[in-house]
Amino acid sequence: MSYLKTTLTGYAGYRGREGQWTFLLHRVTGLGVVLFLAIHIIDTSFVYFAPKLYEEVLAVYQSTVFGLGEIALVFCLLFHGVNGLRVAYLDMFAPKDWTIEKTRHSAKIALIVALVIWVPSAAVMVYRILHHNYGLFGGA
Amino acid sequence: MTATSQPRQVSVKKNFDQVAWTWMRYSAFLLIPLAWGHLIWQDVVVGVHAMDLDYAAFRMASIGWKLYDIFLLGFAFAHGMNGVRQVLRDYIHNPKTFQMVSYALLVAWLVITAMGAIALFAINKPVGS
Repeated sequence: MSYLKTTLTGYAGYRGREGQWTFLLHRVTGLGVVLFLAIHIIDTSFVYFAPKLYEEVLAVYQSTVFGLGEIALVFCLLFHGVNGLRVAYLDMFAPKDWTIEKTRHSAKIALIVALVIWVPSAAVMVYRILHHNYGLFGGA
Repeated sequence: MTATSQPRQVSVKKNFDQVAWTWMRYSAFLLIPLAWGHLIWQDVVVGVHAMDLDYAAFRMASIGWKLYDIFLLGFAFAHGMNGVRQVLRDYIHNPKTFQMVSYALLVAWLVITAMGAIALFAINKPVGS
């Protein structure tokens, strides 16, 4: 447990700026996605193992709280993917760009690319929640 | 022994973690189209409000989606669980404990993957029709 404390206080105190933040974001988004994925594989298997229960699962998926989580999940997967591609690209094709200045720059670009894909996706999902759960935009 | 300036060629057998590292990278490339495609299609284009049991069963019964989902299940969850293992390596410094945690993750991975795979292979016609 003391190792955990050391690591976590180290994360909070280390001033690595963009590189450090990107490392943390990559880690948090990855853990978020795998947590959801474990739940999602199990609940999808209910289609076969417990069809009645799957209908309840879908009702949960359609709720507003879960919908907000879904929007966060989309960001997690997009950022983890874009940043993963950045790391792989630097590793395999441009190792000379593994400098502090250049990685600070590329880390920002990775975040911007992820946001550019995420914002319209999130807008569609927010619209659906408002339409189906709150009767806005002509919803029932 | 004679002194030599030639570096000696040695072949070192890759250990598990080197193989796992390679797996992480190349599964990641496959996951960009697989996982992003799944996410954009199911969550953004179709949307959870348009889904019901029949939709899910019909989708899992179709051979194209079944193949897609098999690849997604195989690559995504293994990538994720090994990722969890790598994260935990930063916090667990006792090799015995780490080995036990690794086996626990392996069992969890096997059980959950098996649940997904059994459901995918078992559904060959829409449920209830």
